[in-house]
Amino acid sequence: MKKTTYIEAISQALDEEMARDERVFLIGEDIGVYGGVFKATKGLLDKYGAERVIDAPISEVYIAGGSVGAALVGLRPVPEIQFADFITPSMDQIIQQMAKMRYRTGGQWTCPMTMRVCCGADVGGGLYHSQTNEQWFFSQPGLIVVMPATAYDAKGLLKSAIRGDDPVIYFEHKRLYRWIKEELPEEDFTVPIGKASLRREGNDVTLVSYGLMYHRSMEAAQALEKDGVSVEVIDMRTLLPWDREMIFESVKKTSKVVLVQESPKTGGVMAEVAAAISEEVFDYLDAPVARVCGLDVPVVPFAPPMEHYFLPNAEKISKAVKNIMEY
Amino acid sequence: MPATKKKAVKSKANQFDLSEETMLGLYTNLLKTRLLDERFRKLYRQGRFAGTYFSAVGQEATTVGPCYGLRDEDIIAPSHREIGASVTKGVPLDKIAGQIYARESSPDKGKSHPCHYGWKSKGVITPASTLAGQTVVGTGCAMGFKIQKKDNVVLAFFGEGSTSRGGWHEALNYAGIHKLSVVYICQNNLWAESVPSTLQAGIKNFSDRAKAYGFPGVTIDGNNVFTVHKTASEAIARARQGKGPTLIECLTYRWYGHSEIDPADYRSEVELEKWKKKDPVKVAEKILMDLNLLTTTKREALVEQLNQEIDAAISSVDKDKYAEPEEAYTDVYSEQFPVRRVDW
Repeated sequence: MKKTTYIEAISQALDEEMARDERVFLIGEDIGVYGGVFKATKGLLDKYGAERVIDAPISEVYIAGGSVGAALVGLRPVPEIQFADFITPSMDQIIQQMAKMRYRTGGQWTCPMTMRVCCGADVGGGLYHSQTNEQWFFSQPGLIVVMPATAYDAKGLLKSAIRGDDPVIYFEHKRLYRWIKEELPEEDFTVPIGKASLRREGNDVTLVSYGLMYHRSMEAAQALEKDGVSVEVIDMRTLLPWDREMIFESVKKTSKVVLVQESPKTGGVMAEVAAAISEEVFDYLDAPVARVCGLDVPVVPFAPPMEHYFLPNAEKISKAVKNIMEY
Repeated sequence: MPATKKKAVKSKANQFDLSEETMLGLYTNLLKTRLLDERFRKLYRQGRFAGTYFSAVGQEATTVGPCYGLRDEDIIAPSHREIGASVTKGVPLDKIAGQIYARESSPDKGKSHPCHYGWKSKGVITPASTLAGQTVVGTGCAMGFKIQKKDNVVLAFFGEGSTSRGGWHEALNYAGIHKLSVVYICQNNLWAESVPSTLQAGIKNFSDRAKAYGFPGVTIDGNNVFTVHKTASEAIARARQGKGPTLIECLTYRWYGHSEIDPADYRSEVELEKWKKKDPVKVAEKILMDLNLLTTTKREALVEQLNQEIDAAISSVDKDKYAEPEEAYTDVYSEQFPVRRVDW
């Protein structure tokens, strides 16, 4: 059976949801005629027309806020932010309108929309085409934040996001677009929002990660197995609201945990996960919670050696695991 | 309230070509907005509700005029000084008062902020305080209507100061490209809180901004409710026909501070007095009296009737209690994602 890449899974989800529900429409820069800078929306303009696949002007405030408005009158917008680096002008609309609409209106007006955001490093993208900034949204209740790591999840989570009644920031990692592929079911499927995935069972230590870092964690787990360390690997998939139960259960079992994220360490998603572990399952821990994260510098630097130095990888993760194993 | 044109008043003084019913309807909403607004100011000073209050006294014609005759499905994207839009759109007075009082019966259950009126069944979007934020959202509503092939319109309200924001320009630019069914109402009251309009833009007429986006912009007397209604109605008709947006700059003035805690000492008494002479309620009354559509007796009866409606609304919310504090946990997500509660 043909394997589907991560980006093909995204394209399929968009296509199938547009066919399924006429309220779904796309808006973003270069998504129409050009088919998206990574070709996620290729062919959709011809299939669904210019009113449902809208080539937006360079207006990230409008792409976000206009989508909010369309959601208010009953549509299901799927705006695209071409690079996560360019999301900053949208922040006003995302934080003040998209995230707060249901709350500030007492539930009268809701904002069912899915903002696709292309993020991530390890592609030589340079200073302004490599950021992961999920932590900015993770600290904003009212938003759902997801970041799939597999083609299956890319498709299933996007479908759940589009069908749901909440505003979702859907981070897709560009390093995974054409690298990650798998066979997908022919039939329609979704992946539930709010549920992590236990990807690998182990007894000695738990690795928690998401996005590209899930794959680096898996590489580390495989390498550690050769050294006799049994590693459990959890892919968070949904960051907000995150699956506390699965992570706590695993920590109770292994008593050691290493948290891995691509973004800078300070104030990141894993800072909250670490705090919650210490609040809720402290008694089960046999070692301090460890984190392997991007550097606490403003952004991913461009020169390849510096970019690789910035990023967590299997080697750094393995080292962190060995450190806490020796605790 | 449909704007009928069946009985246009024929008179030299009536250059508005509006029916008697429309003219009196506009006036009634104008007066109702004024009485309600002045009542809220008084209640605020009596400490009857928390926070602050943003009076729109002096600029009511800019909201009443455009909103009169709209459909329920037409959307209002307001800022914080659009009490007249809610009144004219037909939001129940107890819902407007409830919003001010932040009580359980408020449409937002007390979560938002005084003067952030919103009522979905009349198409009024509860605003955010981020100025021009609703201009972007409202434009998106019009984008939605275009996709849905509906001829509903959106009225987006903002002050001249909000036109300095980037998102405002992105919204108008987009609306111009796609000829969206949105009418932009700029209430130029000369002051953005304490900053004069001369420090907002290097142009005199803010309606000139429309030129850059390829649709008409006009500057009108914002204190004459009939002029405002007439101009807005034409723009609304154009918008419904798919002919695109219009930017209407209404020249007006707010009599009081930015909110009740602002003494407004940055502007002169002379300026204030000059504008008070152009009181939109008095302007409308003079026109109606000249047309023999209104008498002092009729006016007094109307004031009494409107005050009774206002009394009833206020007394109902005054007795209402605040929502339980735990209500803070609701309306974050759909029911699928209940918020984790913390026991204090």
